[in-house]
Amino acid sequence: MALIECKNVSLGYEHHVVATDINFTVESGDFLCIVGENGSGKSTLVKAILGLKETYSGHLHLGDGLKKKQIGYLPQQTTAQRDFPASVAEVVLSGCLPSKTGVFYSRALRKRAEDNMEKLDILPLKSRCYRELSGGQQQRVLLARALCATEKLLLLDEPVTGLDPLVTAEFYSLISKINRSMGITVLMVSHDLSACLTLGTHILHMQNGSAFFGTVEAYRQSEFYRQFTEGGSHG
Amino acid sequence: MVELLNFFVSHSFMLRALVVGVLISLCCALLGVSLVLKRFSMIGDGLSHVGFGALAIACAANIAPLYFSIPIVVLAAFLLLAMNEKGALKGDAAIALISTGALAVGVMVTSMTTGMNVDIYNYMFGSILAMSRGDVVLSVLLSVAVIVLFCVFYEEIFAVTFDESFAKATGTHVKAYNFLIAILTAVTIVVGMRMMGALLISSLIIFPTVTSMRVCKSFRRVVGMSVLVSVVCFVLGLVVSVKLEAPTGASVVCVNIAFLAAFALLGAVLNLPQRSKLFRFRRVLAAVPVLLLLCGAALPFFGGVSVKEAKKLSVVTTSFAPFDFARAVCGDDAEVTMLLSPGEESHTFEPTPGDLLQLEQCDVFVYGGGESDVWAKDILSSLDTSHMKIVRMMDVVELQEEQALEGMQKEAEEEEEEPYDEHVWTSVFNAQKITAAVCDAVCAADSAHAASFRARAADYTAKLQALDDAFFALAKKKQGQSFIVGDRFPFQYFMTRYGFSFYAAFPGCSAESDANPHTVGFLIDKAKAENTPVIFKVDLSNGAVANTIAAAAGKRVETLYSCHVISAEDFANGETYLTLMQRNLAALDA
Repeated sequence: MALIECKNVSLGYEHHVVATDINFTVESGDFLCIVGENGSGKSTLVKAILGLKETYSGHLHLGDGLKKKQIGYLPQQTTAQRDFPASVAEVVLSGCLPSKTGVFYSRALRKRAEDNMEKLDILPLKSRCYRELSGGQQQRVLLARALCATEKLLLLDEPVTGLDPLVTAEFYSLISKINRSMGITVLMVSHDLSACLTLGTHILHMQNGSAFFGTVEAYRQSEFYRQFTEGGSHG
Repeated sequence: MVELLNFFVSHSFMLRALVVGVLISLCCALLGVSLVLKRFSMIGDGLSHVGFGALAIACAANIAPLYFSIPIVVLAAFLLLAMNEKGALKGDAAIALISTGALAVGVMVTSMTTGMNVDIYNYMFGSILAMSRGDVVLSVLLSVAVIVLFCVFYEEIFAVTFDESFAKATGTHVKAYNFLIAILTAVTIVVGMRMMGALLISSLIIFPTVTSMRVCKSFRRVVGMSVLVSVVCFVLGLVVSVKLEAPTGASVVCVNIAFLAAFALLGAVLNLPQRSKLFRFRRVLAAVPVLLLLCGAALPFFGGVSVKEAKKLSVVTTSFAPFDFARAVCGDDAEVTMLLSPGEESHTFEPTPGDLLQLEQCDVFVYGGGESDVWAKDILSSLDTSHMKIVRMMDVVELQEEQALEGMQKEAEEEEEEPYDEHVWTSVFNAQKITAAVCDAVCAADSAHAASFRARAADYTAKLQALDDAFFALAKKKQGQSFIVGDRFPFQYFMTRYGFSFYAAFPGCSAESDANPHTVGFLIDKAKAENTPVIFKVDLSNGAVANTIAAAAGKRVETLYSCHVISAEDFANGETYLTLMQRNLAALDA
């Protein structure tokens, strides 16, 4: 059964429909990249998947025992976070919040946080202050937090905004590693079309309500790809 | 140090202030961390203004202030959050709208009902005396609730504060936590603002967090340090306010400023870049602000509370007129103190802890008993006054109800505790009676010097008699002429005693400075009609209304002295009730 199944979904903001007839399915292990211009409804779709937004019509279904709480979400950074006094360990541990049962985090959850920091090479930064880290390090911390929240699905919302090319490449390879070796399904909203084409297995292209969905190979052949590249609007 | 401790323990109002203050500081620090980091600092500020508006309304409607303002402020907190959430109005604009709106409503309600009285003034700048037993209970309950909720939901609060969208996505009820924080903040502000003042309470929320953020690098440490800083600053501030006889709220904020400065310095030193030449010395450098802070913090504890060891008889008076009478009677045989400092406005006066200590240890206390020293009644009932002789001036003379003069700006009907005019000494006849009462009191308290007290009193009464005669003579001369006071009118006893005719802008105790156009127009017409060359203002007034009238009617402005207060300059020059009244005599004769 599919991890996410989306059939004829339309989405909108305050009685204003931004996207209609969105259809796609995500299978376990997929790497789906969501592309499209600003205002095409990418962020709204992300919110709908996270259960923060109602769909207007259609059918959006999480399968395979996936619960909304168990999506590892990597949101765009807010300005408030830039001078937030929190240690790396505190931030990563907060990803375990949905699994917390008592008042405090259990030993097992603390272990999970440590493991994820280990995997992303940020364990040495554990007691450093989040606001003093570089942009790339901060993004790794948030990724570790997202991994704490999920075992199945990562949802990344424009994760490389503001990172320099070298750090961006590193970050991409990290995500790729997570997708391949840990078997975690990845959904990534991005403006970086070339990265989407190399990293992704599937592409969802959103545009004025209509949408392309298919494998990367199919996308390369499609009208949308041609429009997008010729329009010169890819990041 | 011991003396200071004793001072706190032996005065129930200080102990209450200490308990409530420490608990409120603690709550403010905990809630403040979340508010400041979520960029909601201004909500705290906005809520305190709403609190002020609500208290003003409660005062006007005679409802218990807490029961009325807590729900109102909680409601305002909900409204602010909802507006923020919906994005209907940008957060900062919404807060500015609500806070200035509430302030305006508060001022409006106040001016239409009770006038800017001591209660309202206290709510703006805080009063250490305002803490009742009920406040202690409420603040204990509140702080227990805040601490328990903060501990139980600590991880959730961190998650919600650090990253709302992530917390939402992982199924945390962000809205619920926001509302929880808002409600707790609202209650904390209402309880705290009566001590700290509506204008200053939000500093308790903001300062500790910003201060600890200078040096602390994890959320947990920021929380811990904020609580520590907040409580320490409050206690220090309270001690400073006792020592310097300054208002508590402002003292606490000033201590907070000092802490912020020291922590900022410390933070700058600790974060020196490695390549900096000073990096090697950073430990030594870090010691500088720490030592400064420790020394500064220890300073207020040295020496006792400044109370002179009185070997002589000690006479404490509230305002200038009784002070001067007591001074005339006592000469060098007693230490006479005036609680109101020269130059200080009487109607907004609030005794400091030092004043209260002085009052508690005095032998004779002389006060008015009217609107401007309503606090005296509360204080006297809480003190052991068995060793004191107390003279209430309003008990000594024949009282008159405050009457509105023709054209005078009316104060809205209110149920005043005291309908009588308190400025009894403006009649020289009453001054003689008060002098006699003061003389009796000091003679009873110190019989050894009774003879000299009585001799001075007799001498002084004769001088007063001459003045009394002079005013009668003047009134006769000025019969048929009206005088115009473009100001408050504390001269009712004076007017009725001698039969002068007056027009005035406001009643005697009004702290109103905004005359309505109708009143001003009436007085301008009168000024033009009367052949008096002078428009009067009252001592220590800024004379704004008098100046307007004088300019419009082509007259000059002179001062009439109520002798309730005295300017610092006149006080230093040794002016007395007699000399000030002589000035009145000359001014009215012009």
